[in-house]
Amino acid sequence: MKQPVTARQLTLDRIRAATPSAAKDASQLAEAYAALPRAYIRRGALSAQARIELMIQRLREYDAEVVECAPAELANTITTQLATSGRHLFVAPPGTPNEWLVTSAWKITGLEWTIDHGLAIDEHEIEKAEGVVTAATCGIADSGTIVLHHSAIEGRRVLTLLPDYYLCILRASQVVETLPEYFSRCQQPPVLATYISGPSATADIEMTRIKGVHGPRILVVIVVRDEVENIN
Amino acid sequence: MRASLFITCYNDTLFPETGRAVVRLLERLGVTLDFHPKQTCCGQMHANTGFRGEAFSQAKRFVRLYQDAETVVIPSSSCVAMIRDQYSGLFDELGNESLRKEFAALVPRVYELSEFLIDRLGVEDVGATFTHRVVYHASCHGVRALQLGERPYKLMAKVRGLDLATLPNVDRCCGFGGTFSIKNAEVSSAMLAAKLQDVLSTKAEYCTALDNSCLMHLGGAMHRQYAGMKTIHLAQILASTEADSQSEATL
Amino acid sequence: MNHAASERVCLDPRFASPFPQAALPMLRNPQLRKNVGHAIDVIQAKRGKLVAEKTDWQELRSAASAIRTHALENLGAYLEQFEARCTAAGGHVHWAADAAEARQIILDLLHQENATEVIKIKTMTSAEIQLNPFLQAAGVSVFETDLAEIILQLGEGEPSHIVVPALHINRSQVREIFARTMGLKDLSDDPKELTNAARTYLRQKFLTVPTAISGANFLIAETGTVAVVESEGNGRMCLTLPRTMISLVGIEKVLPRFQDLEIMLQLLARSATGERMNPYTSLWSGVTPGDGPQKFHVVLLDNGRSSILAKAKERQTLKCIRCAACMNICPVYRQTGGHAYGSVYPGPIGAILTPQLMQMKHAQSLPYASSLCGACYEVCPVKINIPEVLLELRSQVVNQERRQAGRFFDLMYLGLRIANLIFATAWGFHAAQRMGRIGLRFFTRKDGWIHALPSLGAKWTQTRDLRGLPKQTFHQWWATRAKGGK
Repeated sequence: MKQPVTARQLTLDRIRAATPSAAKDASQLAEAYAALPRAYIRRGALSAQARIELMIQRLREYDAEVVECAPAELANTITTQLATSGRHLFVAPPGTPNEWLVTSAWKITGLEWTIDHGLAIDEHEIEKAEGVVTAATCGIADSGTIVLHHSAIEGRRVLTLLPDYYLCILRASQVVETLPEYFSRCQQPPVLATYISGPSATADIEMTRIKGVHGPRILVVIVVRDEVENIN
Repeated sequence: MRASLFITCYNDTLFPETGRAVVRLLERLGVTLDFHPKQTCCGQMHANTGFRGEAFSQAKRFVRLYQDAETVVIPSSSCVAMIRDQYSGLFDELGNESLRKEFAALVPRVYELSEFLIDRLGVEDVGATFTHRVVYHASCHGVRALQLGERPYKLMAKVRGLDLATLPNVDRCCGFGGTFSIKNAEVSSAMLAAKLQDVLSTKAEYCTALDNSCLMHLGGAMHRQYAGMKTIHLAQILASTEADSQSEATL
Repeated sequence: MNHAASERVCLDPRFASPFPQAALPMLRNPQLRKNVGHAIDVIQAKRGKLVAEKTDWQELRSAASAIRTHALENLGAYLEQFEARCTAAGGHVHWAADAAEARQIILDLLHQENATEVIKIKTMTSAEIQLNPFLQAAGVSVFETDLAEIILQLGEGEPSHIVVPALHINRSQVREIFARTMGLKDLSDDPKELTNAARTYLRQKFLTVPTAISGANFLIAETGTVAVVESEGNGRMCLTLPRTMISLVGIEKVLPRFQDLEIMLQLLARSATGERMNPYTSLWSGVTPGDGPQKFHVVLLDNGRSSILAKAKERQTLKCIRCAACMNICPVYRQTGGHAYGSVYPGPIGAILTPQLMQMKHAQSLPYASSLCGACYEVCPVKINIPEVLLELRSQVVNQERRQAGRFFDLMYLGLRIANLIFATAWGFHAAQRMGRIGLRFFTRKDGWIHALPSLGAKWTQTRDLRGLPKQTFHQWWATRAKGGK
């Protein structure tokens, strides 16, 4: 890389001259960092039921369609949603459970799947898909946010970006109330993450909010009422 | 209760009637006032325009003048803000240890007028009558720097006959800003026009505030435009009694 | 009338007119003032509602301020940590001491990829270093993908706000620009249709251009992660589809830990657009095989930031998270819009950041472009005491200017020096009051008011009257009373 070493050294020297009492490196900063004030709300106060209701309410405020189902009904619910979506060609991540993909009803309704196995499909094939189905990592009720860490069951980032219809499977046990709760649940920081809070929007023209500029314009969320942990 | 009145340079020169009203009001409430004859200016104009050396010399003078005062009352929230917010910085930069100590001892004894009435005298009803519709302009230094909060409203609530209008965008700056009104006169005037629109929309007879600086700016435009509204410092409203309510309040 | 193209606005602080002059055509433009007022009213209302609902808002501000301060205090250590982690994750970190270096580094990287086109996510940092014209001159076509930036690029306009750069432009102006440049004769001015036009225009670009340039909202030191916060999705397009990604980021944007985002994201969305969370936030660390660009470069930009870091009172300027809450509340910005500030960073933050990035050699009028009302400090999510920095910069401007020979006779300087002498003694003050009253008698009309003054005074009387000086000052009245009069 044609990188002049001097710019780096120059900048760091200037920074050090400007901050004479700074630590030499980040490993020495744990104590100072831990002493920083954090009096903001970390944990929510809502009951599990209220939390799920809030998540659903926020999603609906974003014009997302939300349906609830019991764990045993998930596969059927997915099929019904896709069958009534008016679309036929869907793409799904490689880690998608088989049960979600194949039911007899499909052969009747003519749904077609392309699975992103081995990440072989290129963007043009994803571009042809009319919809995408994935799981998620977390739901944050306060802001109606869906969190994706792009694991095998969530898919690489382009999958949930190009198709116009996105069906997201969110388990109730994955829903937290506040943003700090999501962070405290992360065992380690994700290498990749996308936080989705509503469809894409712009207010650049006269502050008129227009939805669906780039990214899926239709969001459907299935909230699976699995055993909700009491995390409070 | 004794108090020293710091009238401020611009009130002394341009709005002596506000000072007379403060005297009348406080003496009516049993305060023994004194007036240091050597007082001039707190240094705000210089500090805010970037002339810190000059501001320092005025600040030093102020502290020396009032070091033995029991309490200092000032009918101008911007001057109090100058003393509370900027003096210690000036003294850190240009002063010495003894000056810093003197200032530290003095500053808790410095009050803006509404603070003095509510916090020090513990009074809300000052025995005033002012039978007019009034709109209150909440000057920025009062709202933000001094956090006066409800104080002026509590005082106005007890003024007999006062019809207090609600001012839209009450927290928005009128555009005076000291030397800003000269250095950026056109922008200042644009802000003034917007503020005036809100003030005049209340159809009040008087626009009041705790700072004659804002009132000079608002009132100057009202006068130019024959707008049919006058400005008056809140001290003059509070000093006003039943007897005065018959005649037109002086400007 | 196409205001966007007809306004030959200069946002280069080296050449822009001083604020009072630059503001004049803006003040005389009713369409502009209406557009700006409407836009900031909308954001303000949304923000106000959400801040009121957030009962720990002040605690969040305190925590954010503390973290940003801590990060700046230890900036070298955290930047080195970011560099190490980002590199370990497959990214390449470059350092640029100034704008010219940053431009060259980026161009060199593009040449390495044989790139003749780039797609861009909105980043004010790239506008700060004037990247687009440099790349265009070198034969690289730059395609902005943010709707506001497209409007400005196609309409040859300049940004006037750091979050909603085209807020000074209304729908019919946008319609005119798109119809002309996209060849869409029958386009209406419905924002939905306009947005669709942009969506169609961009789709092919996203799918075919292999190189992208972005900025970043935050860098996470502990993981070497970059965070981009957006609304439209063009960011996600640029971050995932191309082969090569170049992110240009100011050195001050580093946060110590991933967890710090739990505070910053809550503050940023509410402050910037009045939402609990913006539609899309993307985080990535280096390169992930099979997902997104396989070549990733970060260009860390100094360009004057390290000199701001060195100054005790001014360092807080670097805490800024570019939310624009300050300009949305600013009563000055409301009247003038952003172009009057002659910088890509307008409003209160621009008034302190721009002159400092210029090493106080340019934009000296900006610290005075404020009435010191303090509203910006009240809303700043990271508690930058903007008025305090404005005052500090004013003092530096004065100290610089007063040494210049011509300044001695400058009316403002002369006046303030004389005023200082006057205030030094009671007798001087009283004498000046007497002389002032006598002098102003000439200008005082029968109604007791002054309607016109010469020279500096004319700046007052052009829109305001001034009541004539009363015959008796307060101190004279007091003295008379003390002697037994009343």
